[in-house]
Amino acid sequence: MAMTQPSPQSGPRLSMRTRRAIWVWAFLALPVLFYSVIRFYPTIDAFRLSFTNWNLLSPPEYVGVQNYRDMFASAEFWQVFRNTFAYLIIGTPISLLLSFTVAYFLDRIRFGHGFLRALYFLPYITTASAMGWVWRWFYQPAPTGVINSVLGSLGMGQLDFLRSTTWALPSIMVTAIWAGLGFQIIILMAGLRSIPQTYYEAARIDGVGEFAILRKITLPLLKPTTVFLVVFSSIGFLRIFDQVYNMTTNDPGGPLGSTKPLVLMIYQTAFNSYQMGAAAAQTVVLFTILLAISLLQLWILRTR
Amino acid sequence: MATFELRKLVKTYGRTPVIHGIDLFIPDGEFVVFVGPSGCGKSTTLRMIAGLEEVSGGEIRIGDRVVNEVDPKERNLAMVFQNYAIYPHMTVRQNIAFGLYTSRLSGAEKARKVEAAAALLGLTPLLDRRPSALSGGQRQRVAIGRAMVREPAGFLFDEPLSNLDAQLRAQMRIEIKDLHRRLGTTIAYVTHDQVEAMTMADRIVVMKDGHILQAAPPMEIYDNPADVFTARFIGTPSMNIIPAQSDAGVLSPAEGKAALLAGIRPHDLTIGAEVVDPALVLAGKVTAVEPLGPETLVHFEAAGQHIIATAPAHGQIAVGSRVTASAGRGRVHLFDGATERALGRQ
Repeated sequence: MAMTQPSPQSGPRLSMRTRRAIWVWAFLALPVLFYSVIRFYPTIDAFRLSFTNWNLLSPPEYVGVQNYRDMFASAEFWQVFRNTFAYLIIGTPISLLLSFTVAYFLDRIRFGHGFLRALYFLPYITTASAMGWVWRWFYQPAPTGVINSVLGSLGMGQLDFLRSTTWALPSIMVTAIWAGLGFQIIILMAGLRSIPQTYYEAARIDGVGEFAILRKITLPLLKPTTVFLVVFSSIGFLRIFDQVYNMTTNDPGGPLGSTKPLVLMIYQTAFNSYQMGAAAAQTVVLFTILLAISLLQLWILRTR
Repeated sequence: MATFELRKLVKTYGRTPVIHGIDLFIPDGEFVVFVGPSGCGKSTTLRMIAGLEEVSGGEIRIGDRVVNEVDPKERNLAMVFQNYAIYPHMTVRQNIAFGLYTSRLSGAEKARKVEAAAALLGLTPLLDRRPSALSGGQRQRVAIGRAMVREPAGFLFDEPLSNLDAQLRAQMRIEIKDLHRRLGTTIAYVTHDQVEAMTMADRIVVMKDGHILQAAPPMEIYDNPADVFTARFIGTPSMNIIPAQSDAGVLSPAEGKAALLAGIRPHDLTIGAEVVDPALVLAGKVTAVEPLGPETLVHFEAAGQHIIATAPAHGQIAVGSRVTASAGRGRVHLFDGATERALGRQ
């Protein structure tokens, strides 16, 4: 048989590596373009706008760090800052603890497993505004509000949930935690399922108790899942908006700004006061916080 | 140190029975290997002894205590799993020490035991490594180490070598057997590999479909298998089984369904060697030749059956040629054609 070697000239002109790169980038081009225009450009432009005074009508006017100076000098900003961190610092651990407890026990039952899981997941796929309004109705004074009616029939005092500067923020936080619970449960259960059963069997034969198994095996092996959820949930709480806006529509972020998070403040500065420069400065602060917190959490929970 | 005893042990999943009332006594210090094909119930039996599966009927005794309702941790057993079950987030030292998690020993005493187990298993230089930095064989040794430090009454091994390559498996077989010799602890070992069973066991328990077919020392099973399944399962290549008829003490292949089955191990069916007064002679056309080095396996068709025989290493047998193979007196196992139970040898 004659040996026919393909001559180097007859092969494709581009190397395999180049051809592959072109192919990959052909697919990536569209999303990259899309994100550049609708995500990255506005994000970067926000940094520029934060140094300007702009009311949408006249062109932006450069004012240096005036927006930041005004923001850090205003009492309202620091109130909003405290609120935002209250959502984050209380909301994230409570929601994780709750979802882990539910996932841990839900993972062990067979009867009604699918039904219960669906029940927990339902709030996550429900429109936030609809949910906000239903909870708002729950929190009404008796006889309209379910919770106060129950409290009343038990002979206990009434709570002014959404109209109290003390209770409004926790009341809204409960709604937010409840809304995100289903997602966290699903993710945690997937994490629990991925731990091989033999790890538990080996520990049981070695005589290790349930609590020690949880502490020494389950939690350490669940760490990647936990890291993901901590970061994900923190970002969620730092960006909380829907629940607050819908549950306090009469005075968004009220009473007296006691529930107002950063995102709502940005929204109001931009679209009620039309102070785009100031809103951009607030956005830059939010961005910086999000970045710092995410990096900090990834660093704390890193694999050593 | 402990004896294990299974009495009329039954396991059912829902309505499906998987273990049909088996009886077995394992004396103190014995190395028993449960062997059988997938789904024969050997692992389930071991897991019931461990306490990881509930007993549906009958009883399990460890020593003279019935342990049916005893928690795994109260049974004082240690188990080694096929996937090792060593914890990826702990070092080798922590993994081995985890076996002593509940022990009331002092820290120094625990550390001494961990060091001793590691030394015995050749793990000392690896003590501060994570499992991800270990080879399969080393991981399995860590799992054995964790089991060892507890000084349990008995060891349970559930296919511990199945994830290792052939060379490592051969090495670990010897190590585990040596460990048993030194510790003298009762071992129940599950495998589907008959070579592991033959090489390691004091006694082999052959299981099929939730029944024990035969429980006997390896050579006893090899020499006198109780039925066709055991005969074919133990020994490689598998025993040849052909329908046969016996006429005045002379065996010959039979056509169709016969009252007798004749079993001849390939090593007892020789080509090209002089056999005086053979018990059975088979002739046929060669379909394949497999030189193994010291000998050559010759596949041929005879009496409508696929037969494997052995020939000398340099026999020069060609595929397609006709060969005659013969088995000596006392080398042919006879089985009942209907029940497939052994009837003795001829």
